[in-house]
Amino acid sequence: MAFGKLFTIAFRDLGRNRRRTLFTMIAVAMGLALTVIMSGLIADVYDQALEDNIRLETGHLQLRAESYESDKVSLKWEDLIDNPDEIAAVVDGMEEVVTAAPVLWGSAIVDTADESASLKLFGIETASPFHDPIREAIVAGSFLDDADRNGILLGQRLVDELGLSLNQQISVSAVDSNGEPQEDLFTIRGIFSTGIPAYDQSTLFMTLDKAQALTLTDGHASAIVVMLHDQHDADRVAAALSGSGLKRLTWRDLNSTLIDLLSTGQVIYNIMYAIVLLIVAVVLANTLLMAVFERIREMGILAALGMKRNQIMFMYVLEAFIIGLFGVAIGLALGGVGVAYLARNGIYIGDVGASVEGMALGTSMHATFDAGMTFWLSVATLGFTLIASLYPAWFAGRMEPAEALRG
Amino acid sequence: MAIIQVNDLVKTYQVGETETRALDGVSLTIEPGEFTALVGPSGSGKTTLLQMIGCLDKPDRGAVLINGQDVTKLSANRRADLRSQQIGFVFQFFALVPVLSAYENVELPLLLTGVGGKERKERVMHLLDAVGLADRADNRPDQMSGGQQQRVAVARALASRPAIILADEPTANLDTANGEQIMGIMQRLNQETGTAFVFATHDPRVMSFVRRIVTLRDGQVVDDVNAEAAIAEITPLTPEAEEIILTSS
Repeated sequence: MAFGKLFTIAFRDLGRNRRRTLFTMIAVAMGLALTVIMSGLIADVYDQALEDNIRLETGHLQLRAESYESDKVSLKWEDLIDNPDEIAAVVDGMEEVVTAAPVLWGSAIVDTADESASLKLFGIETASPFHDPIREAIVAGSFLDDADRNGILLGQRLVDELGLSLNQQISVSAVDSNGEPQEDLFTIRGIFSTGIPAYDQSTLFMTLDKAQALTLTDGHASAIVVMLHDQHDADRVAAALSGSGLKRLTWRDLNSTLIDLLSTGQVIYNIMYAIVLLIVAVVLANTLLMAVFERIREMGILAALGMKRNQIMFMYVLEAFIIGLFGVAIGLALGGVGVAYLARNGIYIGDVGASVEGMALGTSMHATFDAGMTFWLSVATLGFTLIASLYPAWFAGRMEPAEALRG
Repeated sequence: MAIIQVNDLVKTYQVGETETRALDGVSLTIEPGEFTALVGPSGSGKTTLLQMIGCLDKPDRGAVLINGQDVTKLSANRRADLRSQQIGFVFQFFALVPVLSAYENVELPLLLTGVGGKERKERVMHLLDAVGLADRADNRPDQMSGGQQQRVAVARALASRPAIILADEPTANLDTANGEQIMGIMQRLNQETGTAFVFATHDPRVMSFVRRIVTLRDGQVVDDVNAEAAIAEITPLTPEAEEIILTSS
């Protein structure tokens, strides 16, 4: 039988109970819209967290001494790079590299009259473009310059928590390369706010020279942090630097926690999407089953005319396909509007981001349109609607015509 | 060769814990071009017999031969093919596809048998014209009266030029005028096309049109008379058949 006529019957049958058809389409649409918005939020959170981690901390590539262990934040000379400026200059000259900057990491404690806070100390080359994000995030005071021997930068959240203010002098203690505590007085030269609570709460910047002096790591650096024009070049650049005698870590190695979290999380999110679509499928199966029960006698008539079981089944699958297709179209529109709204306005999550270790989460979540995921969710929605139609279709097709004619 | 041959047909239905024997060893032969009525009270097995002949159900025992082929042994798909090519149906409840127009309803069997576009259109319009509904071609069933719907159903039954038309109580839901009009149309088409018509009915109006009356009771054939001869010779029906007809009407 002509496909066109089966399609016509299926399409017109849907118009017999318009309200029910409409509600079923809306259920399909809402299911897809929900998953599109969820995937958009998740995609943005991970993309943004990875981008912020790279931009503010890890860079695309790091060079470290072979024995350096980032967990211990070691300041022993043998764990540090002893000629960072020379190496940074060589790396900086590479075509793929935007900037390469030596950095010294340590642990510091800020003491006020009433409180103290444990911080991650960054000794930085203030002129390096790598630190532009912090330079741009200054909300009070000014960024450091290399001549500044007693200036530090603190995050807005920390300043607020400790009741500090700009230009205030505070005592900073740090463990030196011999494991001994060293203390000095510093002036809060600038206050930054990156919008990432974890960062703004626990980071302290000072010039590399001053950090080296404080920690007795004269001329040494924990790492050379490299930013590339294209992050996909990381492996190639790392390979080119194999003769440096240093350990080379790409952004993938440096953000492995986040990347692992993403891949593990994706499985959970996929299960969540499947549950949403399964609920939609149950709604659709119920609608079609009701339609089958209402039209049992018609199935008998069609069978009497010579329509085969598979053609009757196909008619119901077509009904599901039409519902699915319109549902997906409406769902994409609703999902698109939802993603656009969340991309613009976001959802405020407050300090939740500060509690997630290994992720640079801001105080609000935004969405981004994930075309690939949206495509697969649309295909999955359509697939689920078709699978959901199989039982009602089978139910309609399995009956003997005489049984169907009896109703 | 007989167009329909029914041999010792038995069909039992299970309703709850009750077993009902709808057909109890029915044998019957219908020749091409016959215009025959199966009569009997409700539950006598008329509709069940019609469904067995129409390949709509399978018997528990016995055989149904259409053009010499035992259809009880065919698969569901082969039976569907046979129905679309050789058998037309007219039902009591008009049985049009509600979402299709009169034209599309008549066209449906032709689509199932793969008749080409131009021929399909000619045949549909010819049949609608034959039942006096050419001007209602675009109307859907809910825009037509019961009589008009049944005429469309007759046109649809004849669309694929079947050898047999099986009509189950075709006049039961029609008033006298419409009932007689439908029977008149079917009688004319029977004479014009040579298609065999078999009616399951207890409507005396139908019996006045047919040439043969087969009486069933409790799933068995109890009488089989040539209605024309009976009328010509003023031969009365057997008392049993007469009683059944009178009580059922």
